[in-house]
Amino acid sequence: MPLIGALPQPITSAPLVLFIYLVLILMVGSALASVVLRSTLYAVGAFVATMVLVALLYLAIAPFLLFAVQLLVVTTVSAALLIGLLRETTGLVPSTVGPVSREWIVGAAVAAALLALLGVILGATSWPNGLCCSIIVGFGATLTSTYVVGLAVLVVILASAALGTGLLLAGPTRPSGRGGASIRERGPRR
Amino acid sequence: MSAGLNLVLVGAVALFAVGAFALLARRSVIVMLLGTQFMFAAASIAFVAFGRFGLGARNQNAGAAMALFAGATAVAELAVGFGIATLIYRQHRSFVIDADGE
Repeated sequence: MPLIGALPQPITSAPLVLFIYLVLILMVGSALASVVLRSTLYAVGAFVATMVLVALLYLAIAPFLLFAVQLLVVTTVSAALLIGLLRETTGLVPSTVGPVSREWIVGAAVAAALLALLGVILGATSWPNGLCCSIIVGFGATLTSTYVVGLAVLVVILASAALGTGLLLAGPTRPSGRGGASIRERGPRR
Repeated sequence: MSAGLNLVLVGAVALFAVGAFALLARRSVIVMLLGTQFMFAAASIAFVAFGRFGLGARNQNAGAAMALFAGATAVAELAVGFGIATLIYRQHRSFVIDADGE
């Protein structure tokens, strides 16, 4: 059996080719905008647009599961993390105070990422007891058979990231008030 | 008019260049984080393109699987970057990092 067979032909359908060109141009443009824009909020918005366009590119050339994961997990969780970061620091709306602590917000975001990833794997593959969708069963079988070690490593990486982020945010340096001095600089409590 | 490996790779390279520019030329932690995400996304697109059009086309799911892993790793990296950026803001009351500002 030859190592390299005949390569697949390029996409020649005119609407699809036009769609890919458009997505690529918009993707690079919005990425450049997110880097150049001075407003952090607008930069995050352009970043989310870029991630959505990457998902649309996956829709054209990749299995549907990858499009779904990119759109529902990567884009959503990245946007949630960045918006959470802005709320924790400069603030989207300065007068708004969140109802829960920042550690809970971060923990909830990371837990949502893990649960979403687990949900996609459970819903899209035949693991553990055949909840599969036929449209993506090939990709799911590849993930759970050929790359099962990769999945395990991925879970370890995500768990380590969640633990590391929690430890970083739970450190001894406490946040100061808006524009004020930190608690440590105020001296001992009386 | 067709869309093949070269076109998608050019798009991936452009996205990677934008990410590298953000990482090297900007001083805001948030923009640098976005740059790393762009570089992750560009690598994922290259994986998918090779799986769809290139030498990995005998197993098209391989490139998509690698892209899935890269995307999840990018989210983990963003979560850690979130914590680091928050600490930097608490220390300096700014997202700007500089050699003079440690």
